[in-house]
Amino acid sequence: MSEVTGGTTAERMEEWQKRREHILAQGGEKAIEKRHAKGQMSARERLEYFFDPGTFSEIGMWVRNRTTAFGLDKADIPAEGIVTGFGKVNGRDVVAGAEDFTSMMGTFGEYHGKKLSTAIDFAKDKGWPFVTLNDSAGARLQEGMDTLESYGWTFHSQIQASGIIPQISLLMGPCLGGQAYHPVMMDFVIQTRETGFMGIAGPAFVKTQTGEKISLEELSGWRSHAVKSGQTHIVAEDDKDCLDKCKELLSFFPSNNKERPPRIECSDDPEREIPEFDTLIPDEPTKPYNMYPLIKKVVDNGHFVEIFKDYAKSAICGFARMNGRPVGIVSNQPLVMAGVLDINACDKLARFIRFCDLFNIPLVSLTDCPAYMIGSQQDWNGILRHGAKLLYSWADASVPMIGIMIRKSFAGAHYGMLDKSIGADFIYAWPTARVTIVGADTAASIIFAREIRESENPKETQAARIKEFSEMYESPYQAAQRGYIDDIIWPHDTRKLINRSLDVLDKKWERDFFARPWRKYSNINL
Amino acid sequence: MEEIMEAPLPGKILSVDVKAGSAVDEGDMICTLEAMKMENPILAPIKGTVKEIVVEAGSTVQTGDKIAVIES
Repeated sequence: MSEVTGGTTAERMEEWQKRREHILAQGGEKAIEKRHAKGQMSARERLEYFFDPGTFSEIGMWVRNRTTAFGLDKADIPAEGIVTGFGKVNGRDVVAGAEDFTSMMGTFGEYHGKKLSTAIDFAKDKGWPFVTLNDSAGARLQEGMDTLESYGWTFHSQIQASGIIPQISLLMGPCLGGQAYHPVMMDFVIQTRETGFMGIAGPAFVKTQTGEKISLEELSGWRSHAVKSGQTHIVAEDDKDCLDKCKELLSFFPSNNKERPPRIECSDDPEREIPEFDTLIPDEPTKPYNMYPLIKKVVDNGHFVEIFKDYAKSAICGFARMNGRPVGIVSNQPLVMAGVLDINACDKLARFIRFCDLFNIPLVSLTDCPAYMIGSQQDWNGILRHGAKLLYSWADASVPMIGIMIRKSFAGAHYGMLDKSIGADFIYAWPTARVTIVGADTAASIIFAREIRESENPKETQAARIKEFSEMYESPYQAAQRGYIDDIIWPHDTRKLINRSLDVLDKKWERDFFARPWRKYSNINL
Repeated sequence: MEEIMEAPLPGKILSVDVKAGSAVDEGDMICTLEAMKMENPILAPIKGTVKEIVVEAGSTVQTGDKIAVIES
């Protein structure tokens, strides 16, 4: 008890204030100035910017390490290098943990980890979203096993909270080594372009262990994860942009899985017609067009927040609102790789669909997809296993699901992009839709292979048979005749019908999930 | 900086829109690749000069085959 001073109340108040100010000063003025020079904020400045003014309450400010080895008994690490607490973001409760790089470089020690995992447990218990602001030089090796174990507490806490509360990681500084499993296991990672780094090991470690020479930027920067690995969902320009993007994302989410996503007042006519859709689709099925303007015209006020924008670009996903309701949009991009579903596109869409389902966000698919990608490269890397993730995601989902078949809806991609059989509540097709088991040229060349081969004029016979198959099946009519398509619609009515369907399905989320037989979970092809 | 452009999927080159030495803007058409029954525009990822163009109309490419090199 030697640290506790005696004395009068005034003396005790003064002592308290001194200690408190020391912690609030983080790593000190010089260290913070250095950050400002690089265009970065301190951990406390970030939290101040993130939360509504005056709403942040800190928890665990006084926590400190207990290891004494390697000089740690004399170490001064304000708040253990991580500021944790709760406050309001646009009036809604959110819990956050901000790593402080100025305090022993934000290193992750036993009590740093304990603060983080405790904050996540707190958020889960309250049913409030959790946000981590990652900025740490890595493991505090001086603490040995104590550090290692606290990684595990963090992972366990966040995994237990997964699916109960939305969890977002803001990669504003480095996060390298085993610690990087923390951001990657959150629902969303927003990475700051110049300063955010993530990876299983940094360049120095990679060089000593494998001989590979690579820079930190190339190995762990935004391109590595937003473009190549598909582990960063959104790229931000700087600290403020990162925090703003996080706030925007939170605006689409409910606070937890028992609540509905917040519906806002809609200033865009829910029945608005979109005349240009009636002439949008090219005459030749081989010609691509850009899906982005189409998505933006369908959703409220053209506002679309894209997820995984730079990854697996043949597929598109993101959040928007329809008549004020948050929805998840799932689509294809005919301009990129024909809008095909390859391994990466399947992973991208499946993870997005499952997040939406976990948090009661209705799904709308806008389909123009020729197929799952074929060929040895895709087969050997497991396109079937990855494609299966999409099927599981749709079939397991209990949120409202509405599909618009714009053009191609062929083969496996027919259910991979949502159809009735896999769980859609409503499917509408444009008259331009081609909904069938396979494209006419492939089908005709298989069914009539012998006839074409033995014909006097094989080319002519082939062309005639392709035309026949195309006229019979490459349309929305067979599917609509069987009831697999609810209606073939005027393209200009797309927004109207999605909104009417969402109205009808308003109560679905309360009903369907609980009507299912009990099981732990489905055995999705991971 | 050099950007090596690779075929994103296997298919046949329908047409080539640039020559070695052509100046290109980001997003300019380099060539059209027919694959999965679609004409896929292959666009310049950066602004620069075409240093090398490996394919010609009619070439068959596999995923990852070099199409062109753009130098900025």
